[in-house]
Amino acid sequence: MSRLDPPRVTRRSFLSIASLGSFFAAVGTAAAGLFRLPNPAVLPGPVRRFKPGAPEQFTPGSETLFSDANLVLFRDDDGFYAISTTCTHLGCIVSRAKQGFACPCHGSRFDDRGKVVGGPAPRPLPWLEISRAADGQLVINADNEVPEGTRYRV
Amino acid sequence: MKDPSRIYRWILLGASVLTIVYLVGAAVHENYLAQWSGVQRQYREILRQKAKDDRGRELLAKFRIELKQVSLPALGTVDRCVTCHNGIDDPRMTDVALPHRVHPAGVLDIHPVDRFGCTVCHHGQGPATTFRDAKADDAYWDYPLLPPEMTQATCATCHDAEKLPVAQIPLLLTGMKLYQEKSCGSCHKLAGRGGALGPALDSEGAKTRHQLIMSNLQPPHTTWRWQEAHFRDPAGLVAGSQMRNPTVTRQEALALTVYMLSQWKRDVPESYLAPDMIEQKYRALHPTPLSGEQVYRQYCAACHGNGTYSRWDKTFKRFIPAIRGVSLIATASPEYLASNIQHGRPGTQMPAWDKQAGGLLPEEITAVTGYLRAGAPAVEKISPLTLAGDSTRGLTLFLRNCAGCHGMDGRGGTAPEIGNPVFQKAATDEFIIHTIRKGRQGTAMPAFERPDAPAFADQDVADVLAYVRTFGEHKREKAVAKNAIPVSGGRP
Amino acid sequence: MATATREFIRNLHDLPHTVKDAWFRLGKTPESEREESQATFHNLFLHIHSVRVHMRTLTPTLTFGLGLMATGTFLITVVTGLLLMVYYKPSTDLAYQSIKDIHFTVYTGRFIRNIHRWAAQLMVLTVLLHMARVFFTGSYKKPREFNWLVGLGLLVMTLALSFTGYLLPWDQLAYWAITIGSNIANSPRELTDALGITRWLDPGGFQKRLLLGANYVGQDALIRFYVLHVFLLPLALVTLLSVHFWRIRKDGGLARPEDPMGGPAEWGGAHRTVFQPIPTKTYGLMALVKGQRPTVNRGPENTVMSWPHLFWAELAVFMITVATTLVLSFYWDAPLKELANPAIPENPAKAPWYFLGIQELVSYSAFTGGLLIPLIVVVGLALIPFLDRRSGGEGTWFGTAGEKSVFRNSLLFAVLVTVGTLVFTVNFGWLRNWVPEVHQLWIIIFNPGSLLVLIFAAWSLLVLKRKDSVRLAAVALFTCFLVGFTILTYFATVHRGPNWHFYWWLSQWPVH
Repeated sequence: MSRLDPPRVTRRSFLSIASLGSFFAAVGTAAAGLFRLPNPAVLPGPVRRFKPGAPEQFTPGSETLFSDANLVLFRDDDGFYAISTTCTHLGCIVSRAKQGFACPCHGSRFDDRGKVVGGPAPRPLPWLEISRAADGQLVINADNEVPEGTRYRV
Repeated sequence: MKDPSRIYRWILLGASVLTIVYLVGAAVHENYLAQWSGVQRQYREILRQKAKDDRGRELLAKFRIELKQVSLPALGTVDRCVTCHNGIDDPRMTDVALPHRVHPAGVLDIHPVDRFGCTVCHHGQGPATTFRDAKADDAYWDYPLLPPEMTQATCATCHDAEKLPVAQIPLLLTGMKLYQEKSCGSCHKLAGRGGALGPALDSEGAKTRHQLIMSNLQPPHTTWRWQEAHFRDPAGLVAGSQMRNPTVTRQEALALTVYMLSQWKRDVPESYLAPDMIEQKYRALHPTPLSGEQVYRQYCAACHGNGTYSRWDKTFKRFIPAIRGVSLIATASPEYLASNIQHGRPGTQMPAWDKQAGGLLPEEITAVTGYLRAGAPAVEKISPLTLAGDSTRGLTLFLRNCAGCHGMDGRGGTAPEIGNPVFQKAATDEFIIHTIRKGRQGTAMPAFERPDAPAFADQDVADVLAYVRTFGEHKREKAVAKNAIPVSGGRP
Repeated sequence: MATATREFIRNLHDLPHTVKDAWFRLGKTPESEREESQATFHNLFLHIHSVRVHMRTLTPTLTFGLGLMATGTFLITVVTGLLLMVYYKPSTDLAYQSIKDIHFTVYTGRFIRNIHRWAAQLMVLTVLLHMARVFFTGSYKKPREFNWLVGLGLLVMTLALSFTGYLLPWDQLAYWAITIGSNIANSPRELTDALGITRWLDPGGFQKRLLLGANYVGQDALIRFYVLHVFLLPLALVTLLSVHFWRIRKDGGLARPEDPMGGPAEWGGAHRTVFQPIPTKTYGLMALVKGQRPTVNRGPENTVMSWPHLFWAELAVFMITVATTLVLSFYWDAPLKELANPAIPENPAKAPWYFLGIQELVSYSAFTGGLLIPLIVVVGLALIPFLDRRSGGEGTWFGTAGEKSVFRNSLLFAVLVTVGTLVFTVNFGWLRNWVPEVHQLWIIIFNPGSLLVLIFAAWSLLVLKRKDSVRLAAVALFTCFLVGFTILTYFATVHRGPNWHFYWWLSQWPVH
């Protein structure tokens, strides 16, 4: 038999499997840690939990635009609700039109309650969660959505 | 047959297992043993106990265990203090321990954390996520957490302290008053006004511990501990310091320390400034002149005392004249005094006080001159000598009678430096003649017309005057030759 | 069903297998030497290895795996460095804050920064030790002269990477160490000023401006250092590293003595038949190439298959490196001092440890210690394989006669001379303390650093004359260099404190 194809003693010993296994386990654990890093633990920029002020500052029937936080805060007789002004199509900022909201980028149209009435937007403008901070001020959490029509009652 | 790579497989196994152990250890350490997550778990427990009504339950439901921060690019701060101080805006958190407790009442209503953060008032390491790093008194961070009673120092960043209620910033206001009472301005400049003997104090609060000599201070080496100890014994901390011991109580030293910490030209956006701060800036541009007495108390008294006696200063190794002494003000014209104040005495400890140097307004110099001469009679009119003086003969007389105190070439000794260019310029012939003849009451300067002194004839006086008047040129040549004393600086 | 459709469905069914076969040519654990060979040369990352490897290569005490460790640390710094780049912002306003963020909030950020730091330190250490190993085993000799030069280039690259990385945190340590370092680049002015020709010829100022883009360490310097650290230098290092590996293969693997001719191959107490080709058969060269030429019919090879033996060894060494780095990073944080403050010098402002030997020399004369002596050392190291051309002793520690005793004597001599010079300098000062008005030119020429270089050179010449061997002279000189480097590094690390004064221990440093 040629030297190039000699019969082999198998090398699949326990030691080989254990050492190779532990090597891949180590590399896997390390990779898990490494891939964790790019996910930011705290987001830079302003806090997404936004305090617009005390409830008394807003009269029923008022609507207040907070352009830094990209949302409009409404108060009607039933309570408070906040609608995001970030378009659900591709993230442009919608502006308040005569009737509802209009997006300048691809022509999406929304009504006063954020429902899509035209254009490519796939879903209505999100209604944002409102709660109250410990000091009594309103808190709008731009990270949390609530079902359309939800009012926060003081 | 022995396997040549067997040993390596054992090594691989060992090293891999070790790697896994330490990776898992680091993961556990970061995710489950972090101090802040423990603190937040405690806080959630507190929230649970206090969740008695709908609001309480809502707050509990909304609470998340996560890193929290207030990022304020306008102030250049990222403060993660709120990661552990979760209850600062919850009025129910009065009966719980730190760090969960509510912030003292009222402050956060007008300084919302979302807008101001924490470190702009409290200092400390904002980005830190452990108590030890946040406090930073042994971490590598320039501005460690201020002790509670010192925090008032930072109010002056945005407020005109004088317009704030005394009860809120007692130490700061006391410190400010003490600064004037102790006449610190005699040697130190603040906002462009003050003497030149000590360093300007405008950025004293911005100094880090590395800028202060800590070798004689017991640890911990914080700037406020240094300031406090320094006010109680300047030379004890800084060897060779010329600073006079301000003789203050412990409380007063604390107040002065707070005042020093408030001296920090921190760059905050206009929108953060209190309205009175803008007024204060306007006032700084259009100052109201102080009265003569105020000027004297704040900017002269540290060296000249009450000005009625002259004395030998051990630190300065120099004679400090009695600028309110009866016989001086009887002779010295307001112009003479004003000229000395404006231009100082170059080469001595007396600095120039005009607007470019000490920052006194022309009105204030007139006022303080008036204060010095208060109660003095009008300057006696002295007829000028008509005799021509012989400076060579004057030299002989000077060496015999004057040089002992006034020094060779009028360089000064136990008596004023009459060779000084400002003196030469400010002092009229009549003033010098009068002083030689009448002497200075209450000082060692005898009257040379008195019988117990070697009486000077008119010719003698004229000769000495002629010699004294040569000093201006002498001194200038010498100064240029030795390149030691900048003579021209004091000359108008 | 049409044939094409059937074929399509069958292909779809076979997809997992065909994809796997496309990826893994062999598709199973190699079971014969032919398959083991294929496993090696069918793989881009493995084919730089020869298919068979000499037994000596697998002996741990020949190389201690130092070159591989250096490569391992480099790989670690590349991976961790790429991750740190995700958060690091190379701006004087943001850099320090971004490091604080990495330390305090970024997931695994603190650990990864520590790993990056420790791997970089280990890289310098292993590169230096690797060089010493290559020297003392005589492995630079023909035909490996060129690879010695490449290795020297890699050493310089490693130090440059470390130096540029030092500035990036923008803290006090960084700022002042780089201020000092960049002024070393400026130090030819010491010479040109002393000669009074700076107005016409100012290489120092040119170098400094080139490095900093300004005459102080600021934003321009930071961005230059950043570009060098994350792009240019790694690129250059990877290129040189590829050449280095390629040359190892081309130069016939690790240096080793010629195997004796004739007789059966023997290792591990067993005999293996020497390869006897069958005349009627044609063989591919891949299994037969060894050393610099094919070795059919040429006596015992003492080789084993690279797969799996060499790869086990390489994995093991790599994992040792990883584990060492992790353990160090777990217990000791990478330093981060206060924000850089151009108004307050750090005291003492110490460079990273491997530059502290140079910093001690710099404290005598910036030009001589910072540029001239390092240049002499690098040129001297580069010349070694061209001046010592006699073969013999390759691949064996202290392989030629008398090396060990020369090494021992040189060790003793260099320790005495270096310690003596330091003791003298600390106690009695140098020229300027004796003759305050001495011309700077004299200090540039004659200082403790240049004295050491001269003494070491004289010692080496003495050995050359006495022993009548270039190799032994080289051993003497290299030993002196190693000892000098080590002692100066130790001395500056431990015994130099604020104002570069001598202290016995850290606890004696004055406060502040």
